[in-house]
Amino acid sequence: MEGDGSDPEPPDAGEDSKSENGENAPIYCICRKPDINCFMIGCDNCNEWFHGDCIRITEKMAKAIREWYCRECREKDPKLEIRYRHKKSRERDSNERDGSEPRDEGGGRKRPAPDPDLQRRAGSGTGVGAMLARGSASPHKSSPQPLVATPSQHHQQQQQQIKRSARMCGECEACRRTEDCGHCDFCRDMKKFGGPNKIRQKCRLRQCQLRARLSPVTPSESLPRPRRPLPTQQQPQPSQKLGRIREDEGSVASSAVKEPPEATATPEPLSDEDLPLDPDLYQDFCAGAFDDHGLPWMSDTEESPFLDPALRKRAVKVKHVKRREKKSEKKKEERYKRHRQKQKHKDKWKHPERADVKDPASLPQCLGPGCVRPAQPGSKYCSDDCGMKLAANRIYEILPQRIQQWQQSPCIAEEHGKKLLERIRREQQSARTRLQEMERRFHELESIIARAKQQAVREDEESNEGDSDDTDLQIFCVSCGHPINPRVALRHMERCYAKYESQTSFGSMYPTRIEGATRLFCDVYNPQSKTYCKRLQVLCPEHSRDPKVPADEVCGCPLVRDVFELTGDFCRLPKRQCNRHYCWEKLRRAEVDLERVRVWYKLDELFEQERNVRTAMTNRAGLLALMLHQTIQHDPLTTDLRSSADR
Amino acid sequence: MFVRNVAGTPGPPITVPTQIAKKPKYRAAWSRAGRLADQTWSFIAMATEESGDAKAEPALSSSTNRSQKASEKPDYALKFTLVGHTEAVSSVKFSPNGEWLASSSADKVIIIWGAYDGKYEKTLYGHNQEISDIDWSSDSSCLVSASDDKTLKIWDVRSGKCLKTLKGHSNYVFCCNFNPLSNLIISGSFDESVKIWEVKTGKCLKTLSAHSDPVSAVHFNCNGSLIVSGSYDGVCRIWDAASGQCLKALVDEDNPPVSFVKFSPNGKYILIGTLDNTLKLWDYSRGRCLKTYTGHKNEKYCIFANFSVTGGKWIVSGSEDNLVYIWNLQTKEIVQKLQGHTDVVISAACHPTENIIASAALGNDKTIKLWMSNY
Repeated sequence: MEGDGSDPEPPDAGEDSKSENGENAPIYCICRKPDINCFMIGCDNCNEWFHGDCIRITEKMAKAIREWYCRECREKDPKLEIRYRHKKSRERDSNERDGSEPRDEGGGRKRPAPDPDLQRRAGSGTGVGAMLARGSASPHKSSPQPLVATPSQHHQQQQQQIKRSARMCGECEACRRTEDCGHCDFCRDMKKFGGPNKIRQKCRLRQCQLRARLSPVTPSESLPRPRRPLPTQQQPQPSQKLGRIREDEGSVASSAVKEPPEATATPEPLSDEDLPLDPDLYQDFCAGAFDDHGLPWMSDTEESPFLDPALRKRAVKVKHVKRREKKSEKKKEERYKRHRQKQKHKDKWKHPERADVKDPASLPQCLGPGCVRPAQPGSKYCSDDCGMKLAANRIYEILPQRIQQWQQSPCIAEEHGKKLLERIRREQQSARTRLQEMERRFHELESIIARAKQQAVREDEESNEGDSDDTDLQIFCVSCGHPINPRVALRHMERCYAKYESQTSFGSMYPTRIEGATRLFCDVYNPQSKTYCKRLQVLCPEHSRDPKVPADEVCGCPLVRDVFELTGDFCRLPKRQCNRHYCWEKLRRAEVDLERVRVWYKLDELFEQERNVRTAMTNRAGLLALMLHQTIQHDPLTTDLRSSADR
Repeated sequence: MFVRNVAGTPGPPITVPTQIAKKPKYRAAWSRAGRLADQTWSFIAMATEESGDAKAEPALSSSTNRSQKASEKPDYALKFTLVGHTEAVSSVKFSPNGEWLASSSADKVIIIWGAYDGKYEKTLYGHNQEISDIDWSSDSSCLVSASDDKTLKIWDVRSGKCLKTLKGHSNYVFCCNFNPLSNLIISGSFDESVKIWEVKTGKCLKTLSAHSDPVSAVHFNCNGSLIVSGSYDGVCRIWDAASGQCLKALVDEDNPPVSFVKFSPNGKYILIGTLDNTLKLWDYSRGRCLKTYTGHKNEKYCIFANFSVTGGKWIVSGSEDNLVYIWNLQTKEIVQKLQGHTDVVISAACHPTENIIASAALGNDKTIKLWMSNY
């Protein structure tokens, strides 16, 4: 069974020792159940574990207990007494214990759990208050909190604890970590990871997000370590980070390179900014979330030996600020935000100071005319006005010369452009005349239709001529596929088509805006697709229904001989019966409308072309073009390199 | 890494010095080949003459007036200097209709100038990194540009807008070319591949794993059936455009890095520029070098060279000693050196119909010069 190997004492004390009974899970307590997911307390004599619920001891009470023996052991051996903690240490413990990992070391209480599995499952092997099998699986060793009751230790603890709480809030993710990552620079400096122990800082991931301060300047405040000469105090970061920074903010790093003495001379402002690292940030960082160049942490630190740790530090600081600003977009928590704002505020103050510190006398002079003030950092001018003045002077000076140069020789492209414009205008003219023609036809058609309506109805023999001939044949409708009588084929197919078409939409986002056009597009707004119907209004099956034909309405279609010649006669059949001229008005109107639409499209195209040519002409010799470009003529006689001057 | 600067890349700089050291023997071999080649050249030339092919290879026949014409010298004179780029110019090309001159530069823009008057026309913005090469479509309405931002862009010249961006290369795109039908674009890149793109859709149709070093030049032949590609690994490959199969690889004895390749206008010969100060004219079907043009300096940059066919038949090339060199195509002698630039002349283009040469220089100069000749 699992329990045996790890148990330091023979499991035969007390009658509750039947932990092995052939089942898989070891059983505990007076209830003899294997349940370990609740608070348990262990007897210091027989090492049996008891559920707090079963023996009526709450976690809170247990916190006050230092040594506890189960009822049986107490009954057997009267010397065993339950001992409680000193009041002060109880408070301290309770302060510390909020949210922090349970401890696993120390005196009576701090014994390993009944079996290693349990220990693992529990996350730690402590006795009192520690069987919190809540999934924290990291056995921590780095929080040596001896809660053993010796006064001197208490005192020390007090001091230590005060110090700890000053630098650890105890609640953030970093404070809750129990083990060092082993990969960051601080960890690798630790003795236990094979480092030289020069930096002596907590693991990066364990730096409290609220309270930690990587402050070399006030080492006495943080951990007790002797003062060191400046360079190492400044906590050299791995240079890969710098390598990246150099790429990112080369200017910062390079300026840092130039002024090492200044950097070391002002450690304070630098160190203040040196963050409380956001461990999430750091983890992202490690995971390469920000980095396209790869992990900076992982490689050797020997790559840029020439760079002072101080400079590295400064460069790091800047980058952190940058990253921090990025990260601040993601995180929404109040307290972090506040902290960051404080950070940014500090930075804003620091930067101008630093610039001054950097270049007190070496800021270049503003390039404005007659201006003797120093230029703003990162600019060539001291103010906007100077820049504008210089630009204006430049234009006054250079532009006339350039204009003259331009006009020295005729611009061939310009000539082409003018010819093009002329052509376009001509085409526009012709398009407009065509349009007028269309309008005329439109009106003509309307008049014909009007006239035709006035005809009297007359039943003709001629119309029934072809009836008997083709009643045997069957045509299949194109849309629905049913067989239909050829006599009514036209009518049927029109109706059928309209039926199917009315179910589809055809439109564009823009309403028609043409002046002078009477009726072109349907333009009915469809709110679902947010489009305007772009079918011809006369034809649109979706938005216009054929009007009901009254019984006495005449067909009125102008009859033709040989397709094209008008006879002057009109079809006298009642509309309802006429099968040859079904919907003739609609179709004729549609024809005319289509022509008109085509002409409008053409006009549109021509407008577009004209606009292009005009913009090209303006931009060719515009201010910007003239100022930025120049064509120097070397041979005053040759202005045109074409051998024959045509085209 | 915009201009065709070889220095700093692995491979070529190492080989070049050894080339120089071996020069004398090299030269001798070539001249031997050259002499032989001359004889074959004349033979071929006469044959082509008989077949009525009058394009870039005039016959070295015995007729006197032809030889007179062939030995005449051009008199290119500087007419215009076009100032406007703010960084080194990387390439200049005349439009096929002869109206425009397009120039690409390290300042990430393409400028269109009038070809006949040298006047500024418009600027095309859009690339994020330096542009290495441009090419016109056959109808002079579109441009393709190859840039260090790993993309190619297709531009509509009239409107100045970028129509498509071709993405797919994994390193700087170095050279590009339209096919005569202008429905395909080929591009060569530092990722050692040649890609064939469809213009209409902007998709990459084929990727030819062409070389083992950056591809420095690609070109279609006059009917679009063949592609030639040259690379720093010293090999020129000829591909079938339809299938993407490599038909031939041209390697010379020592294989100096190839900086430039181009088909001749009739598609029979290939002009190959290498980084040992040499330009060679190869008959690729026989796999033999026919002519060699030397005298200029070309060891670092991928300098463009061109056939000039509007007047006399010349080979025009830039050079690293700030001059434009013009050789007689047949006799291989230098007939003119154009002086005026103050930096390496990286590109020299010939007008399709007039005797105009446009030359562009690198960072110290940043100008384009237009030269005109009477013959």
